[in-house]
Amino acid sequence: MSWQGFVEGLRSFVVWVMDVTSVPIIVYFVLINSSLLLLIGLAYLEFRTQQRRRATAITWQGAGMAPGVSLLVPAYNEEAGIVTAVKSFLTLRYPRHEVVVIDDGSTDETFARLEEAFDLIQVPRELPREIPIRAKVLGVFVPRDGRANLVVVRKENSGKTEALNLGINAASEPLVAMLDGDSILEPDGLLHVTRPFADDPTRMVATGGAIRPVNGSRVVSGRIVRVEMPQTWLPRIQLVEYLRAFLLGRTGWSRLGGLILISGAFGLFRRDVVVEVGGLEPGTIGEDFELVMRIHKRMRDQGRDYRVEFVPEPVSWTEVPVTAKVLRNQRRRWHRGLWEVLWAYRGMLFRPKYGRIGWLALPYYWLFELIAPLLELFGILIVPLALLLGVVNVPFAILFLLLAYGYAVMVTLSAMVVDEWAFHKHDRWRAIWQTIAASVLENIGYRQATVWWRLEGWWASIRGRKHVWGVMTRTGFDEDTA
Amino acid sequence: MSAPAGEPEASSVRVLVADDDADIRDLVEFKLTQAGYAVEAVPDGISAWEAFAANPPQLAVLDVMMPGLSGIDVLRKIRESDNPSVPVLLLSAKSRDSDVDTGFAVGADDYVIKPFSPRELLHRVNGMLARAR
Amino acid sequence: MIVGGALLLGVTLAVLGGCLLLVLAVVAVRARRRSRQQRDQMLLSPLRGPLITVASGEDDDGSATEQLTWATGVTRTVLDRNIVELLTKIRGGPADQLVRVLEVHGAVEAATGDLRHRSSVRRARAAQLLGLARADHTVPQLVEALRDESVEVRNSAAYALGLIGDPSAAGPVLAAIGMPDRGLPAATAAEALQSMGVGISEVLREGMRDDNARTRVVAAHLSGERSFTRGLPELRHLLDHDADLTVRETAATAIGRLGRDEDAVVLARHTATDEPLSLRRACVQALGELGDGAAVPVLAALLDDPDPRLAELSASALLALGPVGRDALSGHEDEPAVRTARLVASLQKASA
Repeated sequence: MSWQGFVEGLRSFVVWVMDVTSVPIIVYFVLINSSLLLLIGLAYLEFRTQQRRRATAITWQGAGMAPGVSLLVPAYNEEAGIVTAVKSFLTLRYPRHEVVVIDDGSTDETFARLEEAFDLIQVPRELPREIPIRAKVLGVFVPRDGRANLVVVRKENSGKTEALNLGINAASEPLVAMLDGDSILEPDGLLHVTRPFADDPTRMVATGGAIRPVNGSRVVSGRIVRVEMPQTWLPRIQLVEYLRAFLLGRTGWSRLGGLILISGAFGLFRRDVVVEVGGLEPGTIGEDFELVMRIHKRMRDQGRDYRVEFVPEPVSWTEVPVTAKVLRNQRRRWHRGLWEVLWAYRGMLFRPKYGRIGWLALPYYWLFELIAPLLELFGILIVPLALLLGVVNVPFAILFLLLAYGYAVMVTLSAMVVDEWAFHKHDRWRAIWQTIAASVLENIGYRQATVWWRLEGWWASIRGRKHVWGVMTRTGFDEDTA
Repeated sequence: MSAPAGEPEASSVRVLVADDDADIRDLVEFKLTQAGYAVEAVPDGISAWEAFAANPPQLAVLDVMMPGLSGIDVLRKIRESDNPSVPVLLLSAKSRDSDVDTGFAVGADDYVIKPFSPRELLHRVNGMLARAR
Repeated sequence: MIVGGALLLGVTLAVLGGCLLLVLAVVAVRARRRSRQQRDQMLLSPLRGPLITVASGEDDDGSATEQLTWATGVTRTVLDRNIVELLTKIRGGPADQLVRVLEVHGAVEAATGDLRHRSSVRRARAAQLLGLARADHTVPQLVEALRDESVEVRNSAAYALGLIGDPSAAGPVLAAIGMPDRGLPAATAAEALQSMGVGISEVLREGMRDDNARTRVVAAHLSGERSFTRGLPELRHLLDHDADLTVRETAATAIGRLGRDEDAVVLARHTATDEPLSLRRACVQALGELGDGAAVPVLAALLDDPDPRLAELSASALLALGPVGRDALSGHEDEPAVRTARLVASLQKASA
């Protein structure tokens, strides 16, 4: 076959592909853009709500209605930061909270540091076994002064999920929050995120609060002293992603009563409900997402009147990846978690019993979160190819790209307006320009890379399902503690 | 140090006031200055600690909730410093018993809950200084 | 194709234009906030001195107060807002003086009218001002605002009624919690009720018989916090029969705080193994709090309960009961629950 003939063949193939896919692609494009428009609409509503909330805020004491909180801190080889973290958690502004550290068989000085800093003493306490634990518990420790609300549990290494489950068993307060040793909580964060429980004590089962990237900010003894923009573009772009995800996505879903994803947010749960559904599922990647889904399912199966709410106030700050390698691992893991949970709960799709979760939230996540990278990859491949072969003309292609990415920037910018109005954590003008630049830059390279990584994660999971069931999941988890 | 309690003599007695709320900072500063104290007022915990370390006052009034270091953090640092016995009064909107407990456990000498009466605050400051002497 | 192209161009331009507008919006929001701050500061700066003088209670001759009352126009609006803010921070004589300034400015009267303003922010702020100014003649209007369509206004009205502290508002505040679709948040209601004095105990008894579970939780919780023993029959009933677990736990805790000796039997009944674990634990803790000797056999029987926390809580409760309780621990000395409870109690005692 001649070169000419090959190009001709390829051209007719591309034309055929574009013909066949054009209708579904256009439908999808219209759908995703309308959903984005909807998000912008929600952003506007959110803007109004925040405006009202801010303008009429009242200092709140709670009259003892705010339930006690157990902060669960799983630690694996975190000798460097664990003491500072625990000290800052202990001094949060909240009427009643305890810190439960679960030392997951650390091989470094994690426990020794804690023992020294808080003068720990072992107690012969047996922990409740409300959630079954396989690993052996090595001991329970409390501070000698008998006052600080701290419990340290040592166990054999068995992974973060089981460490959290053990923490839930050891927790003695009615609400539990799952933290990382490197999370930084806003001093008022617990007050915000427990508020829905105090306001609706009989129905609220879980709440989530927003997370912000901490990179670049000045932190002294586990507290943010000055909020600054990250130094490099990779975390800056992630900052934009977080803004969008929390200010549009989560609050929007919360408003629609279909909040299913607390994952990646600061999650707070009623302990008895977590126990009732059996705790976190060992071996899952999106463990908190999975937990929220299980709670939704259980509540709806039993026909209970319950609430899951999202609080837009920033509650917690976290270090986001600064290298492409770590970011890649994170995104692969996230997408894989998304897929595994969506797949596991596919039975909830379009069932009247599951209401807005089954009809709205889950289909949305399937279509616009799970499958989106696949279609985007298709676009990334087909558009240049079509250009190269002269199937479409250059101005048309450029317009199309401008439109697609312009939409994305528009959504981000609407989130920025909400943020600037309601929270304005960054008080320098330069931060605004950098954020705007990041929302544009995101579409050049970053987006395409994450598309690829997400597909990698999805693929790894599908392949892993066939061959090495279980083993792959462990790797995913190890990335997390690494 | 010859001033009798309640009638402290001019600027000899220095008081450090730390509160991120400008209203409270200004009015406590004004009230104590009117009463004859030399007041240094700062807007956050880190400045409070720096001011304390640079030139330890005879008494400190600290807000509990401040950006950066909280009043409790500053108090802890003061108690671990070279001048651990400087009297400290915590000023806070936290009114639950447990909050007050925490404040005293860390070593506060007195605790005033917002909203507060400026007159009462002055009496407490006078009393603490009289006892410290 | 031409039509398609034109459409595409149009939509793209619209989207890019939208982006530009949003960028301008971000800048405008920030610029407006800054310029407002600056304007407010400028307007307020000549009055800042007198304001601080009055707020710190140093305005002996009344001249500073008088100067504040002279403010007009935008300055007066900004000043009044600042005064309202100050009223959340100080109390006593200076607060009364600041309220007088608000009255002279007509701010209290204006707020009464603003309770019916079209903007929910204006309504909410008006309610807050009336509360902070302790405008007790506006209680009926504030009670009405508890049913406002906006949650901010309902919250603010409850907050104001709490500040005024008139017990006659307790019934409406409690009833507002259960309003379908526009209920008053439970915590705001509890906070308001908490500052309404002892006159509300009957209202709380009533509230414990309400159809709405949130109302019952608030009523039971406050009966315990305020030690209203008159509510005991209702609390016992809630613990025995309520359909909602949170209500039952709240009732158990309240009984622990204010119960009589005979309540040991009531609480003990719900430590049985067929009850939910969280309720059993709440009852054991309540038994310890109650401190009656009648609880001893029940607690002793729980020392080897399969749930280690329940066993430890029972041991701690027995230790808190004094010699009678401590005697009951004999024979169980080797149980981890008892050893842990002993150790923790001794640590707490040593540091007290």
